[in-house]
Amino acid sequence: MASSAIKRTAFQVLLIIGAVLWILALLLLAQTAQNSERFGELHSLILFINVVGVLILLVVISVALNRLIRDYRHHVPGSRLRARMLVSFVILVVLPLMVVYYFAVQFLNRGIDSWFTVEVEQGLQDALSLTQTVLDIRKREYLARTEEAAAGLVGWPDLGMLSVVGRLRRSVGATSLTVVDRSGRIVATSQAMPGDIQDLYPGEELLQQIGMGRPYVRLEPVSGGGYRIITAVDIPQRSTLTQPRALLGQFPVVARLGRLADTVDQTYTEYRGLMFLREPLKSSFTLTLTLVLLLSFLGAVYGAFFFANRLVLPIQQLVAGTRAVAKGDFDTQLPPGSSRDEMGFLVNSFNDMTRRLGKAREAAARSQQLVESQRANLAIILARLSTGVISLDDQLRIRTANEAAGAILGTQLGSRVGETLEDVAAGQPLLSQFLKSARSHLDQGDFEWREQFVLRGELGSRILMCACTPLPGGSDQPGGFVLVFDDITALLQAQRDAAWGEVARRLAHEIKNPLTPIQLSAERIRQRYLDKTKDEDSEFLERATHTIVQQVEAIKDMVNAFTEYARAPDLDVSKVNVNQLIGEVLELYRARETGVSISRNLDPDLGEIEVDAGRLRQILHNLIRNSIEALGDDKNGKVEVFSRYHDQDEHPVAEILVRDNGPGFQMDVVSRVFDPYVTSKPKGTGLGLAIVKKLVEEHGGRIDAGNRKDGGAEVRVLLPVNESARHAMMEQRRLEVRRESA
Amino acid sequence: MIERRKKSAGIIWATTLMSACVFLAGAAVSAKESSRFEIRSAYAELEEAVYFLHARINYPLSKQALEALQSGVALNFLLRIEVNRVRRFIPDSTVASLLQRYQLRFNALTSRYVVHNLNSGGQQSFSSLDAALSFLGRVSNLPILDKALLKPGRRYILRLEAELDIKRLPGPIQLLAFWLDDWRMTSEWYTWPLQP
Repeated sequence: MASSAIKRTAFQVLLIIGAVLWILALLLLAQTAQNSERFGELHSLILFINVVGVLILLVVISVALNRLIRDYRHHVPGSRLRARMLVSFVILVVLPLMVVYYFAVQFLNRGIDSWFTVEVEQGLQDALSLTQTVLDIRKREYLARTEEAAAGLVGWPDLGMLSVVGRLRRSVGATSLTVVDRSGRIVATSQAMPGDIQDLYPGEELLQQIGMGRPYVRLEPVSGGGYRIITAVDIPQRSTLTQPRALLGQFPVVARLGRLADTVDQTYTEYRGLMFLREPLKSSFTLTLTLVLLLSFLGAVYGAFFFANRLVLPIQQLVAGTRAVAKGDFDTQLPPGSSRDEMGFLVNSFNDMTRRLGKAREAAARSQQLVESQRANLAIILARLSTGVISLDDQLRIRTANEAAGAILGTQLGSRVGETLEDVAAGQPLLSQFLKSARSHLDQGDFEWREQFVLRGELGSRILMCACTPLPGGSDQPGGFVLVFDDITALLQAQRDAAWGEVARRLAHEIKNPLTPIQLSAERIRQRYLDKTKDEDSEFLERATHTIVQQVEAIKDMVNAFTEYARAPDLDVSKVNVNQLIGEVLELYRARETGVSISRNLDPDLGEIEVDAGRLRQILHNLIRNSIEALGDDKNGKVEVFSRYHDQDEHPVAEILVRDNGPGFQMDVVSRVFDPYVTSKPKGTGLGLAIVKKLVEEHGGRIDAGNRKDGGAEVRVLLPVNESARHAMMEQRRLEVRRESA
Repeated sequence: MIERRKKSAGIIWATTLMSACVFLAGAAVSAKESSRFEIRSAYAELEEAVYFLHARINYPLSKQALEALQSGVALNFLLRIEVNRVRRFIPDSTVASLLQRYQLRFNALTSRYVVHNLNSGGQQSFSSLDAALSFLGRVSNLPILDKALLKPGRRYILRLEAELDIKRLPGPIQLLAFWLDDWRMTSEWYTWPLQP
C-alpha cells in the first residue's frame, strides 16, 4: 500500500518534471526560431528532445491504446465507458487544436508576409543608390586628385620619387600614396599612419586594369567599420625608355558619411536577409508550431487516457464488486475512494451494502444451522422412538418414516421415501390393512382422528393405536398428514394375562374351599347309608356318591391346573441339553403309540442351555400333546419338532418349532390362542397353550403361534441360551409393555 | 493473455526501434551526400623548425547558399586541421589541432565580396565571388606545429576538413539545415603523412 503510494507520488513528480522540461524546450525552440546566435548550439538538441518527446508519447499512447483495444475485445468491464470517454476527450481536444493551428499558421504567414512591402524595399534600394551616388562623387573627386598627384610625379626617377610622394600625399589629403611598378612592387610610399604593409598590396584586379591603361577606383569596407576609397592611375611617361609606374592612393571616407553609409548598408542587407529568410522563417515557425501542436495533442491524448482510467477505475471496481456479490461473495470490499465526490459516496455505499449483506447471510446461516441441528435432534429422537411415525404429503407419498414404523408395519419404509403408500403397500398385508383403515377416515374428509386397528398377519395379529394429524397446507386442503401409531399387542396381552391370573387365583381360592367338604360329605353319606339301604337303593347311592367324588376330583384337577397357571415359583435353572430333552419327551409319545408319526429335525450346534428343566419338559409336553390332540384320529397325522440355535436381536437363543398338519387354528381365535379357555379342540382344558406361554415368558423367551400356508398349525418358542441373554430379553419385554401402557 | 501482451509489447518496441533507425539513417545519409567541399591538395613544409601548411580547397556553393550570400547572409567556413599520432591497436591520439574560421559576405553598398579571417582579424574584398572563393581556398604558409612536438621514429598524419558552419547561420536556416541536405556542406577528411 505504502510502496504503491510512493510509486504514484514518484510518477506524478516525474510527470511534472517532464511537463516543465517540455515547456522549457518548447520556449527555447520558439526563441531559436527568432534568435539564432544565442541558441544556435542548442537548437539541434532541443529539436531532438522535442522529437524524442513526440516518439515517447507515441509509444506510451500506442501501449495504452493497445491495452484499451484488448480490453474492449475481451469485454473487460469499464472498457466501453473508457473508450467512449477517450473518444469524447480526443474530439474535445482535436477540434479546438485544429482551429487554433489553422489560424496560427494563417496569421504567421500573413504576418511575416506583411513585413515585406514593395515600398520599403524600394526606399531602401533608393537609399542605397543615394549613398552610392554620394560616394561615387567622392570616388571621382579622389580619382581626380590622384591624377593630379600623378601629374606631379611625371619625369621623376624612382629614387627621387620618395621625397615627392610625401608632399603630394599631404596636398591631396590621402591616407597613403604609393608608387608601384606593373608587378605591384612598391617603388615609393607615404603613409599618414605607418601601418600594415599588407594593407598596401594593390590586388590583382587593380594591377590588371592599370596595365590596360585605365584609371581605377573602388570603394572598400574597412575591418572595424567605415570605408575607404582606393584609387590607382598610371603615371604618364615622358619616354618609352622608362619603366611604367602607377600611383595608388588611399582616401578615407569622412567618418560621418561612413557611419551613415554603414547604416544604410546594414539596413539594406538585413532587409534583404529577411526577404531571403522569409520562406525558411515561415517553414521553421510552422515546424515549431506543428511540433508544439503535436506534443500538445499527444500530451492531451495521453492525459485523456490517464483521466479516463482514473474516472473509470472506481466504476470498474464497482462492476467487479457487483459481479462478485451476484456470485454470492459478500465479503467483497472496494478500496475506499479518497475522493469526496459522488463516486466516493457510491463506493462507500457499496461497501456498506456488502457488509450488511454479509451480516444478513451470517445470521441466515446461523439460524439455518440451528434449524439443522434441531432437525437432526428430531431425527435422532424419531429413530429411537418405538412409536411409528410416518409423515405423508397430500397425495399420500411418504415424506419421512422412522424405523419403528417399518418394524411395526412389517416392511422397510425409510428407503421408500417419495413413493405413495399404496405402491409400498402392494404385497404387504399389514401395511395394506393399515392403509385401508387410514383411508376410510381420510376419504371422508376426516383428517384428525384416533383409532385402534387390528392388523391380521401370518403370525398372529397386531393391535395398533393410531392417531392422525393434518399438516398445514393450502386454503382448506391439508398439506399432508402425520400418522403416529403404537403396537399395543403386547400391552393388551399383558393386561389380559394379569386379568386371567387374578381370575385363576380367585377361582382356585373360592372353588377349592367348598370342594373338600362336598367330597367328605358325599363319602360320609355313602358310608352311613350304603349298608342300611336295599340293593337297588344302595346301588343308586353307590353310583351317585361315586359320581360326586369323581366330579369333585375333576374340579380339583381343574382348580389345581388354575393354581398352576396362577402361581409363579422361582425358576430352577440348570444346564440342560435341549436336543436330549426333546428326544426323551418324544420317546414317551412313541411308547404310547398314538398313531401319529412324530419326526424331529434337531440342530447339532444347539448344546446345553440354561433353563428350568422341569418347565421346559412341561412346555414340550404341552406343545406335542396339543398337536396330537389337534390331529385326533387322523391316520396321516404328522408332528414335526425342530430345534435351531441362532441370534435374536443380538441375543443367542434356542428356537424350538412344533408343527403339525392338522386343521390349524380357527381364524377367529388365532390372535388369542394363548388366552385361557381358548381352544378349538373337542377336549382339553383350554389352558395348555396359556401355560406354555406363561412358562416361556418366565424364561424371558418369546412364543408365537399361527397357521401354516399348506395347512396345519405351527408354534415357535424362543428361549434365551444363558442368563445374560435372559435378563436382556426380559428387560426388553418389560420396556415394551411399559411403553405400550404409556 | 500474457502471450498477447508480450506480442503487443514486441510490436511497440519494434516500431520504436524502426522509427529510431529511420531517423538515424536519414541523418547519416544526409551527412554522406552533402560532402561537396573538396580538399584538392594539402601538405606541410618544415621551415625553421616549424611546419607550415599549404592547401588548395574547392568551395563550390550550393544554390541555396549562393542565394543566401547574395541576400546579405554571411557564410562562415571552418577549416579543421589536426596532427595525429598513429597508433597500432588503439585509436590515434591528437598531437595538435587548429581551427581556422573565415567569413564570406557580400557588401551591397560596394558590391564587393568580403573575406574576413576571423582568426587574424584581417579582411580582403573582391569584386567577384570566384576571386573571393579562390582566395578562401588558398591556404599558404599557415604555421601549424612546432617540430619539437613530434618525436622521431613515430608515425604522424596531418588531417584536414573544410565545412560550412551551420551553427552560425540564422535560426530559420539552421532549422531547415537540420532537415535539408542543401545546407550540409562539408569535405571529406584529407590525410597527409607527416614525417618528422
